[in-house]
Amino acid sequence: MSGVKQIAAIIKKDMIAELRTKEMVVSMFLFVLLVMVAFKYAFGDSDNFSTYAGGLLWVAFLFTALLGLNRSFVHEKDEGCLEGLLLAPVDRPNIFFGKMIGNIIFISVVEIITIPIYIVLFKLSIQGSIALFAGAIILSNIGISTVGTLLSTVSINTKMRDMLLPLIFLPVILPVLAAAVVSTGGIMAGVTGEKLVNVFSAMKLLIAYDILFLLVAYALYDFVIGE
Amino acid sequence: MEKATKLLFAIAAILLLAGLALAFFVAPQIVIQKNGQYLSVFSQKIFYFHVPVAWTSLLAFIVGAVFGALFLTKKERRYDFLSFASVELGFLFGVLVMWSGDIWTRSEWGTWWEWEPRLTTYLILMLLYSGYFVLRSAVSEESSKARLSAAYSVIASVTVPFTFFAIRIIPSVHPVVLSMDGVAMEPTMLVAMLVPVFGMTCLYIALLLMRYQTLLIGEEVDYLKNELGG
Repeated sequence: MSGVKQIAAIIKKDMIAELRTKEMVVSMFLFVLLVMVAFKYAFGDSDNFSTYAGGLLWVAFLFTALLGLNRSFVHEKDEGCLEGLLLAPVDRPNIFFGKMIGNIIFISVVEIITIPIYIVLFKLSIQGSIALFAGAIILSNIGISTVGTLLSTVSINTKMRDMLLPLIFLPVILPVLAAAVVSTGGIMAGVTGEKLVNVFSAMKLLIAYDILFLLVAYALYDFVIGE
Repeated sequence: MEKATKLLFAIAAILLLAGLALAFFVAPQIVIQKNGQYLSVFSQKIFYFHVPVAWTSLLAFIVGAVFGALFLTKKERRYDFLSFASVELGFLFGVLVMWSGDIWTRSEWGTWWEWEPRLTTYLILMLLYSGYFVLRSAVSEESSKARLSAAYSVIASVTVPFTFFAIRIIPSVHPVVLSMDGVAMEPTMLVAMLVPVFGMTCLYIALLLMRYQTLLIGEEVDYLKNELGG
């Protein structure tokens, strides 16, 4: 089986499992809604959320992604599927790419449903280019899934399991959070001039981060997933 | 190795004491102009401690990642010990950086904490490496502990430059308070800074070797215990 086919097979397996139970996307979606309601009360009777638009979005998405990333290997490990995957004649980095793309799909589905609700709830609007907005989100999703899949493989192999993931994932993902907030926040506010340059430098940072961590994951996955 | 460690400790002691003397007696007192008045800034002296520990802690983290990568390629136990010892020391020096920086921030800016890029980068760096120790303690089997923590030390070291740049693209509400680039350093100040930098580096290498030896001894003790059926 070629590499692409192996990756596709893993993604397909995850999709079928998800379509049968729907547990991941549904719980991630409910969680992100709850976080948004919590935000409403955390910020009191403030009625103008536009300053925090990017921040609100990404804090919610990051924690939601964390929820999904934890699940992504927990059930593999619990049902003994991971051993099966490791025994199958599949290259280790392909397991990574399969799981990573699966995670991108889950996170993106939740985001596509949530963003309109979020815009309505907080009376926001996307004043800049929608394509650019989508681009910034996709770049951030790639970063989150790459690092998340790599580190959830690390955490699943420890005693602490899902307790450990936030502790090692959040500090590593902070550059993505910062860049995602600057870029999406800027695009939503429809900034121009010097601030738009800031948006672009944030997106360049996201691209660099994604490429570098894809390489790191490719190089390290063999060691991380275990013998 | 023991001799080398002792020698390095001695060199470190001499250089660090010389550094102290240079900082307090040779380097000129900084004078700034504030509201038309000239003020001498004694608190700047902490700079001669702060910069050496900051340099050493970054060096230690980089060395930790290099040994981590070496462990992953060569699979030799000693690289794991060196990597762990180095990250541990990096963390220790990092605590000193934040502590000495805080004292200076308090006396200079009047607050214990500012979300200034340099401080923030360091805080995140420390959180990043706190995860390293939690990860190590969460794995009981020695070989996976070494493998996972070596991988994490590499991941962490890749993150650091991104953190550095990411924090700088956030539009800051805070005015630029201090920029060392603008300040031309007097030759005596440079010497007073470089001497403790070398001293601290020697201290770091000495401590690294010492910690490495204790880890080796620890392993031997475990082995002997198992031999005796304990």
